[in-house]
Amino acid sequence: MSEDEIRQEEAVISEAKKDPKAFGVLYEKYFDRIYFYLLRQTDNEELAGDLCAQTFVNALNNLKRYELRGVPFSAWLYKIASNEVNKHFRKNKGKKVFSIEEVRIKELVAQSDDSWDEELIQRLIEFMKDLPLDMLQVLELRFYEDRDFKEIAYILDITESGAKMRTYRALDKLRKNFRLKVKYDG
Amino acid sequence: MGRNEIRLRRQRTTARGIDRFRNYNTVLQRYEQTQRLKKVVKVFGFFVVILIVIMIIIFLSRWENSSERTNSLETSKVVVATAHEKVTM
Repeated sequence: MSEDEIRQEEAVISEAKKDPKAFGVLYEKYFDRIYFYLLRQTDNEELAGDLCAQTFVNALNNLKRYELRGVPFSAWLYKIASNEVNKHFRKNKGKKVFSIEEVRIKELVAQSDDSWDEELIQRLIEFMKDLPLDMLQVLELRFYEDRDFKEIAYILDITESGAKMRTYRALDKLRKNFRLKVKYDG
Repeated sequence: MGRNEIRLRRQRTTARGIDRFRNYNTVLQRYEQTQRLKKVVKVFGFFVVILIVIMIIIFLSRWENSSERTNSLETSKVVVATAHEKVTM
């Protein structure tokens, strides 16, 4: 995000603090991202739509308390969305779902020794099933949402070094278990 | 059974069909509803606080009255007793 964009966004936020209708611009801008983020965590379109609406309602309710903390406004929305999902699964005592697109796995992992086949995908899914939840959350935000570590730390309420450590550990596990080259080292 | 539930999506999720959930007016309505509810709760809380303060004032004034009454009763008893003592002397 460029400096100019951040300044524009700030102007919209301060306007929206006075008039909630002005928030519509940010709603249109971030709706898709937040919706897909929620869809990946619920695998249910209706539920994702409902949680998405609730995320924006909560954002509007707390907008007056929002202040810039060195992360983009979208990180704040992700944080609210993440809290909403957690609240939903806590309330319904369900297991958190991670819906992964096959294409994205292929994008993320470059083939090495193993040939890329159905069995490998299944093994990968089995492996991910046993990953600790915090590692999965970090991986999701890093690779599917393209968030940087500072934002991930803010969204998940952890330290930046904690976010980095979780990502590297998860990637190390992936490399060791699958002899795969993950298209990421930064 | 693993710790997490991982589901594989064969198709890339697209923006198609997402528009039925995109409705800022609904969000605004829900926001206004919660704001109204907040106001009602605030006003209710305000009245509760006022009621508690009034009750405390009433309780204190009653307590003061009753303690004054017992004080005056005891004083009169003492006065009567001393007067009685003086008479017997």
